Amino acid sequence: MTTLSTYRTMAAIRVSWARENLFNSRFNTLLSLATIVAGSVLAFLVVRFVLFQANWGLVAINRKLFFVGSYPSDETYRIWISLFLVGMLVTLTYGLWVGRLRPFLVVVGVVAAITLTLGLGTEFHIEEREYTEEIRSGDQVTVISGIQRELVREQGWAPGWLYALSLGLAVPFGTNWVLLALLYALLIVVAWAGRRLSRWRSNPVMLQAIGAGWVLIIPVTLLLQLGVSASQWESAFLDLLVFAAGGFFSFFIGLLLALGRVSPYWAIRICSVGYIEVVRAAPLLVWLLFATFLDDELGTIGEAFSSISLAFRVMIVFTFFGGAYLAEVVRGGLQSIPRGQHEASAAIGLSSIQKYVFIILPQAIRAVIPAIIGRFIALWKDTALLAAISLVNTLDKAKKVLGGQTDIAEGAFFEIYIVVGLIYWVVSYSLSRLGGVAETRLRVGAR
Amino acid sequence: MKHQVGNEIVRLENVVKRFGNFTALNEVNVSIAEGETVVIIGPSGSGKSTLLRTINRLERHDSGRIIVDGVELTDDIRSLAMIRAETGMVFQQFNLFPHLTILRNIALAPQKVRHMPQREAEDLARGLLDRVGIPEQADKYPGQLSGGQQQRVAIARALAMNPKVMMFDEPTSALDPEMINEVLKVMGELADSGMTMICVSHEMGFARNVADRVIFMDEGEIVEVATSDEFFTNPQEPRTKLFLDQILSH
Repeated sequence: MTTLSTYRTMAAIRVSWARENLFNSRFNTLLSLATIVAGSVLAFLVVRFVLFQANWGLVAINRKLFFVGSYPSDETYRIWISLFLVGMLVTLTYGLWVGRLRPFLVVVGVVAAITLTLGLGTEFHIEEREYTEEIRSGDQVTVISGIQRELVREQGWAPGWLYALSLGLAVPFGTNWVLLALLYALLIVVAWAGRRLSRWRSNPVMLQAIGAGWVLIIPVTLLLQLGVSASQWESAFLDLLVFAAGGFFSFFIGLLLALGRVSPYWAIRICSVGYIEVVRAAPLLVWLLFATFLDDELGTIGEAFSSISLAFRVMIVFTFFGGAYLAEVVRGGLQSIPRGQHEASAAIGLSSIQKYVFIILPQAIRAVIPAIIGRFIALWKDTALLAAISLVNTLDKAKKVLGGQTDIAEGAFFEIYIVVGLIYWVVSYSLSRLGGVAETRLRVGAR
Repeated sequence: MKHQVGNEIVRLENVVKRFGNFTALNEVNVSIAEGETVVIIGPSGSGKSTLLRTINRLERHDSGRIIVDGVELTDDIRSLAMIRAETGMVFQQFNLFPHLTILRNIALAPQKVRHMPQREAEDLARGLLDRVGIPEQADKYPGQLSGGQQQRVAIARALAMNPKVMMFDEPTSALDPEMINEVLKVMGELADSGMTMICVSHEMGFARNVADRVIFMDEGEIVEVATSDEFFTNPQEPRTKLFLDQILSH
């Protein structure tokens, strides 16, 4: 039970901790004070920039470009379907295995409140003004006239920074705030239903259904996008697709290569090791450039490869590159399993395949979840490299916005790159949290 | 003989096993009858465990013949699968599967190898847990059990495949002293129920009271085979006498 007095005790503990560790000598006191001052100044500067100095209008009017680039407007239903499917799967899993509804409701509620009301009111537009200016140099007077464009925010309650830093979630692509409201409502219902169902979470049918959902979600999302030409995939949407496809398929390649590395057959072992060493030896950028410029150099294989869209070629590169790294991670897990587990599996009559499927791999993967998540986060951030080949990813879009709207974008580099950084951060952090949940949920019965 | 014995079920003929230059088993000949309990003793490094592990091919023997229930153990994968299904093994370190519940540990093999329906396999598992005296632990994980309980689960897991021969590789050596008896009790009951058992063990009380025959091994060879009474009261070989003097002197 937490009472006022326990809070008081906790505060006292903190004060005495600080006294013993931060202010226990003259030098340490000096260091602590200096750190506090420097931190405060930095925080003040950041807050002042975000709230008062930044030109967030530029982000606001370009939010669609940041998210989906030049994706055709009348095809956005494909993205909405994917969003709904992914959202339902994630919240159902959350409801089943985590089940704490209150923090979930708070997060969804706050995000919904901000984004829905933002979308209702705020409007940015560009105002054009004619202007003339006289420039004197010595006794000569030059008159310059032209049109000055300025960003004006029209209405709505939300300040520009909130609008921009909500990543434009308000109306990501178009003005479908009704769909958005529906999505939030559905998320809450599904999370609630998941919790109600949680006592069947160990039921094999339930496990198989959820597992099948997770395995199928990425192929289904990709198939949904096939109606839109791959050359129109851009910005954060392109990054997410490349990461999802690359991450998903590289996991299976990684598993196969890892098993190949510990195979009793030397030919398979050599092939796996050779593949891993060759693929890991060159930077991803080099492989991406190969994928970009490969033409008929490898005969029909090269021709076939170069005939598919660059976005798909990049997905293939991510798959095979990510697989090589994941293989080493999974191999580490395989080698951490004691020999006794192999012997016990054999002694009860399991075949080699059954042994790996039911006994060895589940334990090996569990042991290396943090490292696997680390590889996925790295792979996600590697999508920034797409800016270096002729694909328009988030980073490249940011550059194009800055370069194409110089008159109103003047000096807004910080604002734009903060948003780019935020997009990378949101996905990385979500992956990290996912890893944390997976670790605690799967720790049951760990050695 | 303390137990009723039937026909021969395990036979080793001139079995040789080498690890590099080291000869772990040197021309070993053994015959074990159905229903019999045999305890193998000997100093460490004498090849006791290796002998046991060649019978279900956790170690591959280099020459000689191993025949289990009329099937010769060869490189043929079917004979291997058959022999592994008919022999159960209990390890010194238990080797339970830490990521599965006790119930799943036991039910897995009948389900996947014998293609038993899940419900039937789990009923079987519950029955076996009853038999080894820990029915209440079914839904826990191995890490939550004491060593003695884990070893009893390991026995139940081996029994789930309904084996004709049970092999025990120093089943009490990793246990705290107060837990040894609960495991030995289960093993004794199993022997009395007519199971064929081959045990590598340092438990002289068990060898004396439960075993029908004792095999003494040293340096990869079988030095002496005798009924347990004769073995302990009237050993023939000098090496056996020396060994017994060493372990029984205190």
